[in-house]
Amino acid sequence: MATGAFPSPRKMTLIAGAIVAINGFFPAVWILFTSLKTESELMRLPITIWPHAPTLANYSRVFTDQPIFTFMWNSVVVATLSTLLCVTVSALAAYALVRLRLPKPNLILSALLAVAMFPLISLMVPLFTVMRDLNLLNTWWALVFPYAVLSMPVCTLVLMSFFQDIPRDLENAAMIDGCTRTGALWHVVLPLTAPGVFTAGILAFVNAWDEFLLALTLSPRVLSRTLPVGITLYQGEFSFPWPIISAALIVAIVPICIIIAVFQERVVGGLTSGGMKG
Amino acid sequence: MARLSPLEASERRLGYLMLAPAVILLLVTALYPIAALIRESFSHNVLTEPWMAKPWVGLDNFAKAMGDPRFWEASANTLLYVIVTVPGAVAMGLGLALLANQPFRIKWPVRLGLLLPWALPLVFAGLIFRWFFEFQQGLVNNALLFVGLSPVNWLTRETPAFIAICIAIIWKTSSFAALVLLAGLQTIPKSLYEAAEVDGASKWRQFLEITLPMLMPAIFVALIFRTITAIQTFDIPKAMTDGGPGKSNETLAMYIHSTTIDALDFGYGSTLAVLMFVLSAVLTSFYLRHTRRDPSGGRH
Amino acid sequence: MTAYANQEKADQRPFSPKEETMITRKHLLAGFTATILLGVSSAAMAQTTLRIFTGGQQRPDVMRKIADEYERRTPGIKVEVEVGGATSEQQQQYLNTVMASKDSALDVVLIDVIRPAQYAATGWAETLDSYLGAERDAVMARYLPAYREANIVGGKVIALPYFADAQFLYYRKDLLEKHGLQPPKTWDELKAGAEKVMKAEGNPNLSGFQTAGAPIEGTVCTYLVPMWGAGGGLTDAQGKLALGAEAAKRPFQLWADLRAANVTPSNLAEIPTDRIRQNFQAGNLIFGMTWGYVWNRAQGDPDSLVKDKVGVVPLPGFSANAAATCIGGWQVMVSAFSKNKAEAYKFVRYLSSPEVAKAQAIAASHLPVFAEVYTDPDVLKANPWFKDALPVVQTARSRPVTPAYPRVSEVIRTNMNAFLAGSKTADAALADMNRDLSPIFR
Repeated sequence: MATGAFPSPRKMTLIAGAIVAINGFFPAVWILFTSLKTESELMRLPITIWPHAPTLANYSRVFTDQPIFTFMWNSVVVATLSTLLCVTVSALAAYALVRLRLPKPNLILSALLAVAMFPLISLMVPLFTVMRDLNLLNTWWALVFPYAVLSMPVCTLVLMSFFQDIPRDLENAAMIDGCTRTGALWHVVLPLTAPGVFTAGILAFVNAWDEFLLALTLSPRVLSRTLPVGITLYQGEFSFPWPIISAALIVAIVPICIIIAVFQERVVGGLTSGGMKG
Repeated sequence: MARLSPLEASERRLGYLMLAPAVILLLVTALYPIAALIRESFSHNVLTEPWMAKPWVGLDNFAKAMGDPRFWEASANTLLYVIVTVPGAVAMGLGLALLANQPFRIKWPVRLGLLLPWALPLVFAGLIFRWFFEFQQGLVNNALLFVGLSPVNWLTRETPAFIAICIAIIWKTSSFAALVLLAGLQTIPKSLYEAAEVDGASKWRQFLEITLPMLMPAIFVALIFRTITAIQTFDIPKAMTDGGPGKSNETLAMYIHSTTIDALDFGYGSTLAVLMFVLSAVLTSFYLRHTRRDPSGGRH
Repeated sequence: MTAYANQEKADQRPFSPKEETMITRKHLLAGFTATILLGVSSAAMAQTTLRIFTGGQQRPDVMRKIADEYERRTPGIKVEVEVGGATSEQQQQYLNTVMASKDSALDVVLIDVIRPAQYAATGWAETLDSYLGAERDAVMARYLPAYREANIVGGKVIALPYFADAQFLYYRKDLLEKHGLQPPKTWDELKAGAEKVMKAEGNPNLSGFQTAGAPIEGTVCTYLVPMWGAGGGLTDAQGKLALGAEAAKRPFQLWADLRAANVTPSNLAEIPTDRIRQNFQAGNLIFGMTWGYVWNRAQGDPDSLVKDKVGVVPLPGFSANAAATCIGGWQVMVSAFSKNKAEAYKFVRYLSSPEVAKAQAIAASHLPVFAEVYTDPDVLKANPWFKDALPVVQTARSRPVTPAYPRVSEVIRTNMNAFLAGSKTADAALADMNRDLSPIFR
């Protein structure tokens, strides 16, 4: 692994880690504390940080009021399928754009990027009609395809920046050694771009995991809901029960954490450790 | 254009083949909605006036936008968000990425810290920050009181509300920038730093002469996408003040939302969406021209 | 695809007006084919399935029970309850998309009281006059006046009321008794009472009065209620904008006055509807102007600090007995794109009946839309405060009935919010309201 610009003593490293972790975790920790409070404690003045009388009542409401495991399963399936689709398609396109002498690659890239430049809200009605006519409403596919398209521009661009970094000579050497072009792509290029593929995958996965507007409209039945829409079901016309919503958010974040932890240590760690020594 | 050699021709064929899935996916999912949007932008289509039957009105909607003060205010606000939050998020993301790129024994807590802001659904991130900036129950004002300062009416004054919204956006989106940049940092060969170390170059010089240039492609990716998404800024200001106080912090995306969803004026709403697209295209083409001049292709 | 019910596929064919007359047979045939293909139980075959859309907060569980009872009574009808987003805005987002693409999946839709005019103008609602026939006037006469008016747009019946809501004045019974005060009938009494209690209690966190001030729908009523109370109206008898009158300035004067006396907090402009309830339940508020749902929460929530200390009265006026209030509530409408309109209409009539109103009042504490249900002994047993609610709902007024209501609401709430935040003066806010509303009310 590369060590970056400032290889520093152990202590500095720990401080660096702490800064990143605190910056990232503080709202999550705040909602974790909130999820253990009652609503009247939340409204108490002066405010409390640490819950005075921690309660798990909000978590039991989360699991009994709505079928949250169904929401979670839908989210996992939709996010996984759209990520696989998006990363595969984007990787192929990115490689073609970087390496394969297509005419006017910048024009093709611009056309791809253009898709990301329209506000989703304005595309809602025609998108709904397309999904209805394809008979996909309330199925996972009604979300998988649009999510893959939504993340495709960013994933393609990320992957392009990685393919650009890989010396052509490496591929040429592999091809001289008897690999086909696709073989070289699979055995040489892909391992080298593992951090890029991982990043693109995470981007696509989280994009899909968080999306609200499409999920609200294209998957309206309760049992086909994804987590972000499902969580809003704990909310009322007027009322916004922070403790319960916080508990639901914690439940929604946990799978992401597990996925990141597992992928980071096993998959990416494994792939990159052999790769980029330079 | 030079004639293609057989090898180049076969490469190009393979290139088209590899591009095909992306094109098919786009055609199936996005082409019709975008075509419909553009057609609508030239029509009068207010759903509460069905007797008008969607006539083609040419550039009328665009002319209307040019004379619409709310459009200009919303566009100005949007640009302000772009100017503040794009560099803000990329700079903060770079800082976070450099910190996160230290040789930790266990990587996932740091990686998770990098990712969490982004994994928190946007709508809820906005609501959480609204809560942090609330006058009485908010963490920020309570912290100010704790250190002996007086609380600020963050969400009900124009400039403090803008600052609070920008902080929330930068926090949320620096996470995305950091992920992209961290991945870029990891591909910089260690040997370059070792060589610089031998030459006695300072850390700062190493950063300026190795890290930054090698990171340029990743920085461009982060900038382009942060710009495209910043132009569409919607959820966080919507959740925090709904463009308030009054409409002083309304963005273009919020105006489009209110025009199409509340007023059901699909024609004008689509026109505003097309104008937003033009704004995005202009800003990103500026970046793309830069990347083309950037010698990244010939670097190795 | 375990989690995904696929029976609805048969209903998703694009709407075609020509098919309408033949609809039952074709639909049954399509349903039949789909049933065979998808392996749904054969019992579903001979039935008409009605799909009703309701919000997550309008008690879909109670709706399900009502639908079960209807299925039991009406052989051949099956009702599916589709639950939408929790807030009125999320529901509108979804419904706009579905209705704009003329989708036939929904037969009956629950809509907010501010929406019938928009549904009338878009043609998304099937007008009910021909179904009601000779009964029309008799049926409509039974509802509370504000609901009758809200659902008749341009002389046509667009929807029928499902349940009512209104804004009330909630007060801390214990604090008023302790300081020898009666619930206020006028804004002056409210101000004096709040000042007295705040001073005597000496609690810096105790707020005197709160109403919605954030840029949300409820803030429209923060403007309209005092304006109506001062004898004003948004429009005159000819439907022209009438904001030049003295009454149009009264809300600004009232809220500025209460702010100057420190009865309302300095952050009123960031307070949304539910924060009023939360502050009230946490014991940090003496008077709150808010909707019917608060009673059950303040009395019933296990963590409520004000249980049995809650009083509800009509909102104050500028003089005694000149109170006004906003109505809320939900209506049931037959979709213009439904393929089962006749059956949907019958179901809507059932949903909008005194019997269902009573069932809802008992099971969900929903305010009835029929005066006589308020005095029903079973209803009063479940909700003793309903007897005080009836006079409020009877005098409640409806927000402007116009297809451009969303725009009207936006203009009023953002100007009110900017005024409460101190970023616009009363004169500027009123001038902007006049400028932006006059093109709508010409």
